[in-house]
Amino acid sequence: MIDFHTHTPAWKSATWLAGATFGAREFVAFMDSAGIDAAVVLSHDGLFDPTPEANDEVAAFVAEYPDRMVAFGTVSPRQSTAVAEVERCFAGLGMRGLKLHPWLQGFSLHERSLDPICEVVAGAGGILLSHDGTPPYSTPLQIAALARRHPRLPVVLGHGGLHDCWREALAATVETPNLYLCICGTPPYAARRILAEAPPGKVMFGTDAGLSDKASQDYAVARVREIDGWGITPAQKHSMLVEAPKALLSGWLS
Amino acid sequence: MIIDAHVRLGQGREVTLVADQLLATMDELGIDKALVAPDERCTAYDNQEGNAAVCQAALASGGRLLAYAVANPWRGRRAVEELARARDAGAVALAVDPVLQGFDVLDGLLDPLLAYAGEQDWFVYIRTGTPPTALPLPVATLARRYPELRFFMGKSGATDFWIDAAPALRHAPNLWADTAYAPWDTVLSEFARDPEIGTRRCAFSTDAPYTVPRAELARVLEWSTISAEQRADVLSGSVVRLLGPHAPSTWS
Repeated sequence: MIDFHTHTPAWKSATWLAGATFGAREFVAFMDSAGIDAAVVLSHDGLFDPTPEANDEVAAFVAEYPDRMVAFGTVSPRQSTAVAEVERCFAGLGMRGLKLHPWLQGFSLHERSLDPICEVVAGAGGILLSHDGTPPYSTPLQIAALARRHPRLPVVLGHGGLHDCWREALAATVETPNLYLCICGTPPYAARRILAEAPPGKVMFGTDAGLSDKASQDYAVARVREIDGWGITPAQKHSMLVEAPKALLSGWLS
Repeated sequence: MIIDAHVRLGQGREVTLVADQLLATMDELGIDKALVAPDERCTAYDNQEGNAAVCQAALASGGRLLAYAVANPWRGRRAVEELARARDAGAVALAVDPVLQGFDVLDGLLDPLLAYAGEQDWFVYIRTGTPPTALPLPVATLARRYPELRFFMGKSGATDFWIDAAPALRHAPNLWADTAYAPWDTVLSEFARDPEIGTRRCAFSTDAPYTVPRAELARVLEWSTISAEQRADVLSGSVVRLLGPHAPSTWS
């Protein structure tokens, strides 16, 4: 089982989320407790302050368990150093993707400063994952528009549209070949419909682990446990948890 | 005592829940009582059909279910007449959904319905979330205009407007929080530890049939940073306070 949406602790940022501090060993213990074999790990500090240091810290966190975790970096796309930092994330830090959080980081997905960044990610064979489900800067079809500008780049809706944009997220995923969807905080009835109607192999699952005020990430464990109550088929579950994320990560995880 | 403060009965766009199915799930999970609201279509359009259905379900439940009334506020005077019909059939609270019913909580359309709720001493469920017309803080401002009424903030702004839920609750002391969808370790704990809010203004709901009710209940039962007394508040005390004089003696 692959968890496609997790976070490191917020080591430096004071956020509205309580946030426990934990190390990689504790995080892998959480993964074991939830039956998660591997996880995509995103920055937490970097969502609020996307610095090179934040990327260094995610890379160091993941490096302790390279067979269990892959790291995605983050940048503020308007910074003049953004393209170089994305190049460093892939070539220097061994990252596999880029995470953007447009409403926290304060930019529109239609801004052209994203284009050279996306070209670097696509050139490195990486993945772009964006927060979605929240107007005004993170609606699924805004992200789909970016995906259409970069058809070689796999783009993942990080939250499957959440509560109020999930139908839009599903429609965007159906009509955009290089757009994928991660069910993460999406309500169960929406998850069931998404899995029934999305193209095969385009739906993953994420817990958003890392934001808890306990290192054991109890809410994330509960989210995994909840899947059995969604009313999905074993084949849909296997595709979401294993086949689709594994195919998208294309051999980066054993 | 475990009371589910909000469930929708009927046929939604992606979901279905009938009374027998709800009662069986309640039996399985140990949920004693529930408040039931009409489905999406009947909330938006055919209010009379929806109110009749949930009031009938409540009547047939042997005291386990109580009914919310709905009326689209665009119907004006006829909306109030529909609420009166629902009251006569046994409804004990008002449920509104700004998204399904197409209004802004601050546009004034709701005023006649709130006046009626005040006359009946009903509490008012308002479904909140990400849409600009259904955000927690405007709901708090509305609640402050009606200090004599008790408001229940359905979904507590799930998900990204969870950040506004606690400020809304602080702003309006007559506003209650909903546990549905909210993790205890990132959202609910803030309500519990803030003396201005507390578990006495936090009510458990499953929001069935959109959720996995077992998971919704488990989150409250496994909420480890609250006392037994506080958990009892969340599971039943808060909704009993919301119901006020309409809480049957068997619900306490």
